[in-house]
Amino acid sequence: MEFLGYFGAVFTPMSMLILCVGTVGGLILGATPGLSPTMAVALLIPFTFHMDPAQGLILLGAAYTSSVAGGAVSAILLNIPGAPANIATSLDGFQMAKKGEAAKALQMGFISSGVGGVFGILVLIFLTPVLAKWALGFGPSHLFWIAILGVTIIGTLDTRSVVKGLLSGCIGLWIATIGYDSIQGVERFIFTDHLEGGVHVIAALIGLFAIPQVVEMLEHGRTPRTVTLMAMEHHSVLDSARQVFAKGRALTIGSIVGTIIGLIPGAGGQIAGIVSYDQTRKFSPNRARFGSGEAEGVVAAETANNAMVGPSLVPLLTLSVPGSPTAAVLLGGLLIHGIFPGPNLFTQHAPVAWTFINSMLVGQILMMVFGLYIARLASRVTLVPQPILAAGILVLAVFGSYSVQSSLSDVFVMLTLGVGMYFLARFGFSAAPMVLGIILGPIAESNYVQGRIIAEAGDGLFAYFCTGTLNLVLIAICAASVIYSVVMEVRTRRLIAQLQKTAQQEAAT
Amino acid sequence: MSAPAPAPAPSPAPEAVAVAGRAQQVFPAVLVLALALWITWVSFDVDDPVPYLFPRLVAVIMLALAAVAFVRAVTGGNQTGGGIDLRTLLNVLPGIGLMFLLVFVLADWLGFYTASTAVFLALYAFYDPAPHGAIGTWARRVAVTLGFMAVMYGLFALVLQVQTPRGLLL
Repeated sequence: MEFLGYFGAVFTPMSMLILCVGTVGGLILGATPGLSPTMAVALLIPFTFHMDPAQGLILLGAAYTSSVAGGAVSAILLNIPGAPANIATSLDGFQMAKKGEAAKALQMGFISSGVGGVFGILVLIFLTPVLAKWALGFGPSHLFWIAILGVTIIGTLDTRSVVKGLLSGCIGLWIATIGYDSIQGVERFIFTDHLEGGVHVIAALIGLFAIPQVVEMLEHGRTPRTVTLMAMEHHSVLDSARQVFAKGRALTIGSIVGTIIGLIPGAGGQIAGIVSYDQTRKFSPNRARFGSGEAEGVVAAETANNAMVGPSLVPLLTLSVPGSPTAAVLLGGLLIHGIFPGPNLFTQHAPVAWTFINSMLVGQILMMVFGLYIARLASRVTLVPQPILAAGILVLAVFGSYSVQSSLSDVFVMLTLGVGMYFLARFGFSAAPMVLGIILGPIAESNYVQGRIIAEAGDGLFAYFCTGTLNLVLIAICAASVIYSVVMEVRTRRLIAQLQKTAQQEAAT
Repeated sequence: MSAPAPAPAPSPAPEAVAVAGRAQQVFPAVLVLALALWITWVSFDVDDPVPYLFPRLVAVIMLALAAVAFVRAVTGGNQTGGGIDLRTLLNVLPGIGLMFLLVFVLADWLGFYTASTAVFLALYAFYDPAPHGAIGTWARRVAVTLGFMAVMYGLFALVLQVQTPRGLLL
């Protein structure tokens, strides 16, 4: 119950102000299609430079939590999920809106998000210190493998091509080595003056997550598009709350599924929402009504995608392995404040760590309250034209990356990486493993070098890095992750080929 | 309320659109292979190997993966990503050009705020479907641009006190 002692730091006027601003901002950003929670958090990191570490993390945590929930607004009112985590929400949410129950769907969505979110943060609170204590005995070889594990898992799960996912991770690891070597100060891969200081992790984060989305918004040129924003009726919040708590099955399944999937590094809210929706449908007596405006579907999806938020931070805070792309961005936010998550987090930085976690618990409740009352305002944001959004994000990205070190080189790097990533993404490469490579590269390298020194004085490199129970377990997980993903890729390809063949045969007959 | 209005459409995931042709798969595979070869060459062609121990490890793995990706691209075994068609390319290139113009030329020359204002307006106007001939359209564009940049100035210059490069103007 150590966490209870740090609640005071959350309830200071400044922390509460930051929490409220982060929550409202996250809800609005989350409601805007095209702005992912990952990008929202990445764009906010530069603002945290001017805050103390705990307050900076409160802002990022609040934005993360509320932007996931905010995605429900556009999913329900426009049938466009604000983030991949809200895909399952749109299945029944939009149908409810079409039946004139938009406000009810939104209210039920936010209340379910709050319930799932609180459950997930409680899991984070009680599981993290246990795992952190266990991880205290890790040496350089284990930390090296954990860093490689982080890149491998995200690399193999975040793309349809395992090879391209792992290549993205390797490119990230290479980018992390650009600049001066930290031990001897030797220049590495500096082919332009702009790279002399290396690639700053925040410039890379902003570039890789924000700029590709800006360019995507420009893909349709000047083609005008029209959508219909569904009407919002007046509906009692109390009645919505009563209906949510009457759906115990969906709340339970959503909370459990979200928690389990959140704990698996690389999975994420999209899977949590869909699996929870599917399982709830299977167990529901109203399963035939799913997809045509069944409120239980909205509850199941929204509970799960927010229950995932807390557990997704468990591997990050205990092992430095981010469970999702947004957690990877949060890792960047922790590192720039000199906080290295991992086994020592709760011994060396306990006040910051607990204040951050407690603020997420309070943030879940604020998110629920604000979400209920500003959904109407947030829904208007979904109508902001794409060119304004694109120009606004570009300018914010330029100012944000410049303000990190007051360096134009960071802006050059940010933009070049971002535009490069846009084209790479078009060819099946993924930003998340690359970002993780950039973030975990220095951790992997320092532990590799340290491990080499220990190994040379002992039994040799192979014995130090590749023997011992924990090393073998970590290597086995890396290998299993790659093998599983390769098998899934082959299966998917066969299935697609089979479907294409069947379609061709049907067309021929 | 059922107001039709211009609003964002979801960007299709690369896999959601048609898988790129083989040439579009081979081109990025060649680029990545060339990058991997260059990194490997630089990592091994050094007098003092110690600073390059980790880059060497990365380079060897990357080279192996890039070779696999290249072979699969050539044989058509790994078609992921929608590629890019000429129309999309022509749509995004002006925007990308404006971004690079802002960062590489205008920011230092005109000043950060002036350059950002100019590029915001240019990007907005270029991609805005509204007719260019109407005065009202331009008034709205200018108002939105100035409003947004005023917020940025307040946030970065006044609140966060970030010193930005001053060129000819602000």
